[in-house]
Amino acid sequence: MRYAEWCIAAPSLEADIAAAAMGLDDIGHSRVLYGSLRELGTPDGSDDGGYGNVPYLDRPWTDWTEFVAANAVLDSAFSIVIEALANGNVEVLRSRLRKMLQEERYHYLHGRSWMHEAKADAAIERAWRESLEWIGPEQADVDQLNAEGKLAYGVRDLRRMLEERVGGKSPQLAIEWKAWDPVRRRTAPGGIDPATLEMLQGLAEKRYMPTSG
Amino acid sequence: MGYSRVHASVREYDVFARKARVEPLRQVGSVVAPDDDLAMAYARATYDEERWVEMMIVPRDAVIRLWGPGESET
Repeated sequence: MRYAEWCIAAPSLEADIAAAAMGLDDIGHSRVLYGSLRELGTPDGSDDGGYGNVPYLDRPWTDWTEFVAANAVLDSAFSIVIEALANGNVEVLRSRLRKMLQEERYHYLHGRSWMHEAKADAAIERAWRESLEWIGPEQADVDQLNAEGKLAYGVRDLRRMLEERVGGKSPQLAIEWKAWDPVRRRTAPGGIDPATLEMLQGLAEKRYMPTSG
Repeated sequence: MGYSRVHASVREYDVFARKARVEPLRQVGSVVAPDDDLAMAYARATYDEERWVEMMIVPRDAVIRLWGPGESET
């Protein structure tokens, strides 16, 4: 959704088109994940209409560097965890998530190349912090799933893989694990802005539908 | 934020693809990008109208032209 907001605002026409295409890819990925992650056997979240998104997605991005950092770092963090699922021992996930990884390769190429060009240091540090929070602390759920073989990699592996993919060490960040919400996988409170939430839930669309017929 | 809308230096790449193994590759378009990585990402995103079995890109400056339309072969 945040990618889509940039499909007419990126620095070049090619980047506009890439933003739209990557947004569509990721909507597809969300749908597949929503339908298949239950196979992990972890309990469902509460169905209170809330979203378990990273804080980075709470507000629209106002600068292209924010897009670039999300694309290079956060999207890579998601891909690495998908890779851990695709190489784990849950058969349904092993077969269903392969195509996603092929598509994500191009997101990563796009993000990495733009990262070298756009001076995005501040946004990249924020994306790193939220990626590490999203992966979570050691000796918690991710390491447990790794011990069961459902995830092929544990927290330490995932952090190292993210460094390799992004190209460079993770910035030294002190994360307040005491404030970490294990369901939403973030330390900061808050959530998606109301206007975006309306669009995600189809409410904005309904407003323009004819009332009769 | 003062970000320039254009890259300092770019290359043009021609994009080739085919829908089936029995078909020859054909030129489906071109992209402009500062490096190969971004050119790959752009080519895939821009020319996604078919389920191509193969896609490749070639930097246009790597192509050696022998002659063009209206030009003599010799």
